Amino acid sequence: MLFHTWPFVIFLLIVLPIFFALRKTRLWLLWLLAASYFFYGLWNPYCLLVVLYITVLDFFLVALMERCPEEGQEVDFRTGPTRPTCLTRLTRLTRSRGTWLVVGLIGNLLPLLFFKYARFLGENLNAVLSWLHVSATMPDPSTLMPFGIRYILPVGISFFTFQSMSYLIDFYLGKTPRERNFLRFANFVCFFPIVLSGPIERAGHLLPQFSSFPAIRLRNFSDGLSLFLVGLFKKLALAGYLSVYVDRIYDNPKVCGAPALILGTVAFGWQLFFDFSGYTDMARGVGKLMGFDLLQNFNHPYLATGIGDFWRRWHISFSRWILDYIFMPLQMYWRDWRATGTAAALLITFLVSGIWHGAAWTFIIWGALHGLAATFSLERSAFYRKRVPKLLKQAVVFIYVSFAWIFFRADSLSDALLIVRRIFTAAWQDPQLPALMVGLVVLVWIYQIIYESKFRKVLELGVVRVGLAVVMVLGLCLFSSGGGAFIYFQF
Amino acid sequence: MGNEPQIEKTLLNGRQWLAALAIVLPVVLLTPPLWERIERYDTGPDYRIPYQLSNDYGLYGQRLKAASNPNQVVVLGDSVVWGEYVLPNGTLSHFLNQESGAADCYINGGVNGFFPLALEGLITYYGQPLRHRKVILQCNVLWMTSPKADLSTEKEEPFNHSRLVPQFRPRIRCYKADANERLSAVVERRVGFLAWVNHLQNAYFGQKSILQWTLADDGGTPPRYRNLWKNPMRQITLTVPSSPQDDPQRGPASPRHKPWSEDGRGSTQFEWVGLDSSLQWQAFQRLIARLRGRDNNVLVVLGPFNEHLMAEENRAAYRRIRDGVAAWLAENRIPHVAPETLPSALYADASHPLTEGYEMLAKRISADPTFRNWLTEAAGRP
Repeated sequence: MLFHTWPFVIFLLIVLPIFFALRKTRLWLLWLLAASYFFYGLWNPYCLLVVLYITVLDFFLVALMERCPEEGQEVDFRTGPTRPTCLTRLTRLTRSRGTWLVVGLIGNLLPLLFFKYARFLGENLNAVLSWLHVSATMPDPSTLMPFGIRYILPVGISFFTFQSMSYLIDFYLGKTPRERNFLRFANFVCFFPIVLSGPIERAGHLLPQFSSFPAIRLRNFSDGLSLFLVGLFKKLALAGYLSVYVDRIYDNPKVCGAPALILGTVAFGWQLFFDFSGYTDMARGVGKLMGFDLLQNFNHPYLATGIGDFWRRWHISFSRWILDYIFMPLQMYWRDWRATGTAAALLITFLVSGIWHGAAWTFIIWGALHGLAATFSLERSAFYRKRVPKLLKQAVVFIYVSFAWIFFRADSLSDALLIVRRIFTAAWQDPQLPALMVGLVVLVWIYQIIYESKFRKVLELGVVRVGLAVVMVLGLCLFSSGGGAFIYFQF
Repeated sequence: MGNEPQIEKTLLNGRQWLAALAIVLPVVLLTPPLWERIERYDTGPDYRIPYQLSNDYGLYGQRLKAASNPNQVVVLGDSVVWGEYVLPNGTLSHFLNQESGAADCYINGGVNGFFPLALEGLITYYGQPLRHRKVILQCNVLWMTSPKADLSTEKEEPFNHSRLVPQFRPRIRCYKADANERLSAVVERRVGFLAWVNHLQNAYFGQKSILQWTLADDGGTPPRYRNLWKNPMRQITLTVPSSPQDDPQRGPASPRHKPWSEDGRGSTQFEWVGLDSSLQWQAFQRLIARLRGRDNNVLVVLGPFNEHLMAEENRAAYRRIRDGVAAWLAENRIPHVAPETLPSALYADASHPLTEGYEMLAKRISADPTFRNWLTEAAGRP
């Protein structure tokens, strides 16, 4: 059930009134969970088992961790008066929060590894084994599925797994208290507006919102509908339109000239932005309709003046996640190496970011490109910040980010390399790009530039807001295409 | 973070939503009727919905509205009524007009690619202007010649005009559209503005959305994209395209306009679907009920089916179906005409006559006493 489809409208028309009707009872939380499980289970009921597994695992591991003494209070058995036996070692190990954290991390990552990466790892391992003339081969993961269940990637697995893991880690770090109510926690993991593609929420932000029925005001509806409309327009009118051009280029890059490949790549950057930020807007809009405030995920990323700045504007909830849980611990661990340690931490963080997006070499290279740019970024230098014109910085970042999108979008590594090669070597033919497409993207760009300028007040005028809403509603009727699934669902 | 998002400041508040609705609602409600007034729509004698506008259901409603003379008789049916192999002046309605001596007494209400399940949807949702009128309804048993034609197979079968067929009940087993497609079809039928958008797309943008139209190719190798820099607004000429009078695919000069067989003998074995289980027949029955409910005076023309095409042993099953239809019509006091099968050389295929065939069919219908009696009745149902 996609946000931009009629079944979702019907789903919402059933869920919302009952949700509001139950506001004075304790059943609203149960109803919300039932709705979320129904929403998620519609994709594939078996995938719901993965959600349940992650939920139960993290809920009980945190309960176990709470029973353990905090890290500072633990007794180091190596300094004890007597040499401990195996049993005491084991007992002490189970009384360590760190142990349960490691168990939790492994337990959370296992389904992700199996469903998302096992085939990729197996194929690459088999290639290495074959190169080494070893007769053994790794089985295809689909052969390991029980009861004839199909081997498919549970939609949104990377999102809800990371979200749930953040609760586990935050509890370990003392940043968030234990949630004692299973229903609340289950809602946190599988809240239907965000379960498929985020934003990746933090326990400290979302869990408290489930502690009591949210305060509903008229503003919730007006804001929620506004966000939903913006998201719908981005998805159905803009992303759907751009996808036709992008698919034409990327489905057959061999026949395209350099301008078409360049513009197809730029168009993909915008398509992805409209698609993903459109999804997020709709998710946040639905959240607002129910009185929940969800994290912002995008903030005009193509106006970024550096790679670091780009990641503070693009998929913000995810970049904060990898910053907090991968980069910071690594940087802390390698703090003695100073700049080298930071560079290594950055590279690894972005490689993980690449792998998180998909099990393919193209994503790894995409992550590495961002990692390299972040490592060697001039953003921290005073000269870059103060002397280089903003527009130039924005242009350079946009070009670099667009170049990296080639690896993100290409169907294979060979396709990506072919596109890069042809951009520099192929003939300059007419890119066959419609003027209307150029016009729409330029208009959005201008809107964003104005928004970040001193003229922003113009966009906040009521007449402008109303005018834009009217244009979007009518545009949806006149321009919208079927839309298709969201690109980020595959992650 | 230096760039804390502030997007909420550009969201609409309650009053602004009301203002937006105050603009959008009149646009949505008033555009379709106003558009009908300003758009040039030249129907003329022998007008039929152009082939490329077969999916423009709003236009069909407009067509019925344009033929507002209560003395005019609308001939409803599939491509047999529309005239698949013939020019507009070679259709059944043309020759019925010729027989009656009037230029536009009979209106061609056929649509290419139709079948009873789709016709039922068309008349239900777009056929309100037909109320209180005399209607000739063609019954083509071709739709019962196989489970596939009847749309009663389990296997998914693509078919035309799927947005008109019942989306949920009765269930069409070979129609496997997802819930969103079905629901959007239901919504589209009920929102006039969406029908108007569909009309724009059909009439001016090659059945594409305006955005998709800018990316349309000409189907050649390599493809050419002719609309990239065209102004879409200029496409809207405010004149509905009409059927070409010299369509190379149709008419006596066309290579397709030829008898179905050289020797006139057939050996086709149809896998007839019984009337008790046929989805198309049930839709036809519901359509008649719908028309009568709207005070239409309905006459059914049974045929013209090409019996020559069938193997001898298959004819008994056909006659059972035909007799069953006739019996049901008689039982329900619905006047009907079952003209004798045309000579073999006057058919182009299993059910479409050639130009001469239509002429002969019109003569036979006109000569039928049931038809003559029906013509003398008042427009509304007696």
